[in-house]
Amino acid sequence: MSGPRVAVVQMPGVNCEAETVRALERAGLAGEIFRWTRAARELADFAAYVLPGGFSYQDRVRAGSLAAKHPLVDALAGRADAGAPVLGICNGAQVLVEAGLVPDGGKVEVALARNRMPGRTGYFTRWVWCRVEETACVFTRGLAPGTLLPLPAAHGEGRFTSGKRGRIGALVEAAQAPLRYATPAGGLAEGFPANPNGAEAAVAGLCNRRGNVLALMPHPERALDLGQVSRGIGGEWGMKRDRALAAGGGAGFGDGPGLALFRGLALHLGVRVA
Amino acid sequence: MSPRKDGDTVEAAVAQAFVETRSEDPEAVSAREVARVRLAAGAKLKSLRRLRLFELAGALPARRELEDLFHRSTWFYNPAKERCTVRATGADAAPFSEKEALVLVVDRGLERRAPAERWWRHETGSQVEVREGVVWALGFEPGADAAREAASLAAVTDRAHGLLANPHFQAWSASAGVHPPWPWFTAPKRRAPKGDA
Repeated sequence: MSGPRVAVVQMPGVNCEAETVRALERAGLAGEIFRWTRAARELADFAAYVLPGGFSYQDRVRAGSLAAKHPLVDALAGRADAGAPVLGICNGAQVLVEAGLVPDGGKVEVALARNRMPGRTGYFTRWVWCRVEETACVFTRGLAPGTLLPLPAAHGEGRFTSGKRGRIGALVEAAQAPLRYATPAGGLAEGFPANPNGAEAAVAGLCNRRGNVLALMPHPERALDLGQVSRGIGGEWGMKRDRALAAGGGAGFGDGPGLALFRGLALHLGVRVA
Repeated sequence: MSPRKDGDTVEAAVAQAFVETRSEDPEAVSAREVARVRLAAGAKLKSLRRLRLFELAGALPARRELEDLFHRSTWFYNPAKERCTVRATGADAAPFSEKEALVLVVDRGLERRAPAERWWRHETGSQVEVREGVVWALGFEPGADAAREAASLAAVTDRAHGLLANPHFQAWSASAGVHPPWPWFTAPKRRAPKGDA
């Protein structure tokens, strides 16, 4: 695969690395699995980085907490400071938050806490609507504010929160929340299950000020094809899915909503998108 | 606490159950190694154990029945894999050494265990409150300031400092030795970042 090289940084316990590489390749990037046993200095050879989903170190102590101390994450922090894009998906987002790469500066300022859901606890999975907000985020580049993307969420600890009162709201005001949970009509999600975890200000993804580091809880790499879009999703994406599936053959493999975020990265890295 | 004799049982206000794996706990091993290798405050960390703490508040039976109830229900522990030490009074010893520093970590607002409370009511007819948290027991090499090092390892502030709790959604409180606070949950010293809600 040609195109800028992107490292998919795999810690032990991560399980979404293969589909993340596929997502990058579909966007015209050269995705490559970079296992935790490799030397941190080798990360310098890559243009961008993705920390994929899964359960790094079995979520021991706290989701993302042990991986956040890994020397590879120190190296990623250096690359991020230099402007390289870094995307953390689900467990990858938990690592970025525990490492202080999001929201900024290396200080841990927020948490991805256990879900708060009425009448239930634990792991929860559902397709949710995410609304693109106006920010400097690299990964939503090319997407108009207000764009709605249906994406699957699947986690037990995905609630963006902070012990500092008003901190999450301030980050939203500072244009550091490029994706927020929404209703199918595009309004901000006000409760469960549109907001699947009780995240403050319905934040689904939080980025640094510069916009090159994004911690995102839903899984765009699981929404690459139209045929993957849940039957529960209506609207424009539902119609696209139905038309593709009715056409049969490989039509279900038409571009799904999750690909848009990897295309944003490709656009940022100068890849010409067909 | 003011125990009251009631036939074979004593009605108590509080009970604590400390649950620890019988085999080496992989979670504690990982935490210990990361703390030793990556964090300055962990350089003198000699041992690290993780125990789940259940604290019950309400009308409770005497020790023997308490132990039996904990043993019978999978909401508390698996006797084949874990051991359980019950404190029925504040004078009872908890399963720690005098030299161990203790850190209790609780998910703020999510410490209640409703299924365990329902099970308890079904079995005993009594309404009790059940709370769960994690106690980390830290042993340090001689000469280390155990309380200070344990506090440094407790709350994560950046990649180089803290591990056991993220203060943005967890509360932690420190103690030491065989008689930790009684009760511990209902009046823990809550710690959160400045400006905590």
